[in-house]
Amino acid sequence: MTQKKITTHYDVLCPFCGTLCDDLEVDIADNEIIEMRNSCQIGTKKFFSSNPSGHRYLKPQIKEKGTFRDATWDEALDKAADILIKAKRPLLYGFSSTECEAQGVGAELAEYLRAILDNTASVCHGPSLLAIQDVGAPLSTLGEYKNRADLVIFWGSNPVHAHPRHLSRYSDYVRGYFRKDGRNDRYIVVVDPRNTHTAQIADLYIKVNPNEDYELLNAIRAVLRGVELDAKEVSGVPMEDIKKLVDILKKCHFGVIFFGMGLTQTISHHRNIDSAICLVRELNDHTKFLLTPMRGHYNVAGANQVFTWNTGYAYSIDFSREYARYNPGEFSSVDLLMNDEVDATLIVASDPASNFPAGAVRNMFKHPIIAIEPHHTPTSVYADVILPPAFAGIECEGTAYRMDKVPLRLRKVKDAPVDCLPDKEILERLLEKVKAKEGK
Amino acid sequence: MAEVKLKLKKKPKFPLEADSITPDNFAGKTLAEIKKLPLYHARELVTIGDFFDVSGKAEDVANTKIIIDGDVSNVKRIGEKMTGGEIIINSDVGMHVGNTMSGGKILVKGSADDWAGAMLQGGELEIEGNAGHYVGSAYRGFWQGMKNGTIRVQGKVGNESMLWAKSSKPANKWPTLYCGGASSFLGLHNHGGTMVVDGDVDRCIGADQVRGIIVVKGKISRMLPSFKKLDEVNEITLPNGEIITGKFAQYSGDHSVSKETDGRLYVAIK
Repeated sequence: MTQKKITTHYDVLCPFCGTLCDDLEVDIADNEIIEMRNSCQIGTKKFFSSNPSGHRYLKPQIKEKGTFRDATWDEALDKAADILIKAKRPLLYGFSSTECEAQGVGAELAEYLRAILDNTASVCHGPSLLAIQDVGAPLSTLGEYKNRADLVIFWGSNPVHAHPRHLSRYSDYVRGYFRKDGRNDRYIVVVDPRNTHTAQIADLYIKVNPNEDYELLNAIRAVLRGVELDAKEVSGVPMEDIKKLVDILKKCHFGVIFFGMGLTQTISHHRNIDSAICLVRELNDHTKFLLTPMRGHYNVAGANQVFTWNTGYAYSIDFSREYARYNPGEFSSVDLLMNDEVDATLIVASDPASNFPAGAVRNMFKHPIIAIEPHHTPTSVYADVILPPAFAGIECEGTAYRMDKVPLRLRKVKDAPVDCLPDKEILERLLEKVKAKEGK
Repeated sequence: MAEVKLKLKKKPKFPLEADSITPDNFAGKTLAEIKKLPLYHARELVTIGDFFDVSGKAEDVANTKIIIDGDVSNVKRIGEKMTGGEIIINSDVGMHVGNTMSGGKILVKGSADDWAGAMLQGGELEIEGNAGHYVGSAYRGFWQGMKNGTIRVQGKVGNESMLWAKSSKPANKWPTLYCGGASSFLGLHNHGGTMVVDGDVDRCIGADQVRGIIVVKGKISRMLPSFKKLDEVNEITLPNGEIITGKFAQYSGDHSVSKETDGRLYVAIK
């Protein structure tokens, strides 16, 4: 039996969640991932999913009479370009799980096509961006929290499951420069309707009624201002507990609120964040306080950055009038699809069929779909053209922004299957094809 | 007053952006010139003549009245930035009707979609049906929304109406909304706007209100904890001089913005 030659890559970035861990060790043999160290379960799973399997598209696919057939890149791009040129209101959606260079080309393609350009922030942290536009945001990098924070609040977020290594790298167990005793030097508060696994390891758990976070934030802010409120209980939290919490907030040396979709996607959406930001602003009259959104996809922060420096706006961008306009609710993917205003969709590194409301998905399926997607997904099986990409951060390099907007370089640890191209190259070729067809 | 009649010929497949339909753009133009004014249909540049039959005659801005027939529920931005004259819409209308208008009058005989009268600077907008979200609100990222003028909605208005409304005492500008009912977050970040609601309102009314007056003649589904009851009154004088009589509980707020506040919320006592 011959021993396989194993190559180990150190300090590899994990292209899964917004924590963007940069200390992974990956063992490769025969261009396959055989072992991972330091990564969490979900990150490990993503690396292993790049290995050969029946779920992966290895060649471009074109759907004919309801079934897919293998196609050459030229054929597939030709068909994709035809679909986009023919459409009157094309939508380019996704982008959050690929690298910044591809996102940049996506923005260029959208502008050229006078299409709608949107990323997954539209259905996750878009409300945070709306609130930041209204009231600003006191943010910081994760290193600051690691070294300084002695009060950490997780509001509507559950990092134990969604960002598994966040706690050990930045916010809970890790030893920081001024927090030498790690967990013992930090006071953890969790505000959530459910007693989550994060809540179970917290020092204080506040159970808030579902969809009543806004009222609780509102009461905390009023109590912080020294107002004696009439209410005995707010959002299921007794006034005594609110006063106790305000006391804890004021007395810390350096506090931070990490918030997730429990705030952005419950009933008050961006107004929850608006109020949370105002609370943090007011707390800075007493101590040092900051907040940071717990971004989901590893490069959704990058999608917002790239789109902003290209168009001026982070998501929900419409180019139909040849200049960029922005209005979530009017130009956001779900709203457009619900109103059946889109007549062709290009999906890049995303699976809206699994995440969008049924009505929106039904309307999306009525019209042609082009999917740049490595795996079989509910979206890709309904696509008309599938363009198979290399995994950014595993099979090709690129740039990604961590949740605190720190750009980091993604690594390549193995080769992509022969017919899989990087997202950037696919989009560049598609743009060239579209331009060639229009005679430019 | 000269009348220009527009009748929709065919229903647009995509929303039609019709910011060119204003008395300002029509004034002094012949019918042929009006027909050539641009509209946007998805990414196509089309003309008013492509989608509307045009008849009648236009004069100067103040003396031009536009009457729109046919189902324009998918036509956006009618009356955008108008400064005078009149528009009558005989059906439901799409988003952004009368946004940023500073004078004149718009009457919608059906319901309006979102952003009706957004950032109104003056003039009058009347809607006989319901209105969508963000009535008279500031657009994304603006800290000063509706600054003057009046919006009357006989039905219900949607969420976050009158967002960042701002009055000015020296300039005697008092943005005012009358409506039959309201969803959540009416008068959010209010800086002097006046709102009178005939019926019920949903949660979070007056959130982050710095100053201004909100009168609710019906019920509030859930009051914010940061409003404090002051007393009971029998008469309320609005900044525009109008007097409302009836028994009301007077609340001050939003106290989450400051300990002392000029913001007032009146709720009818039944």
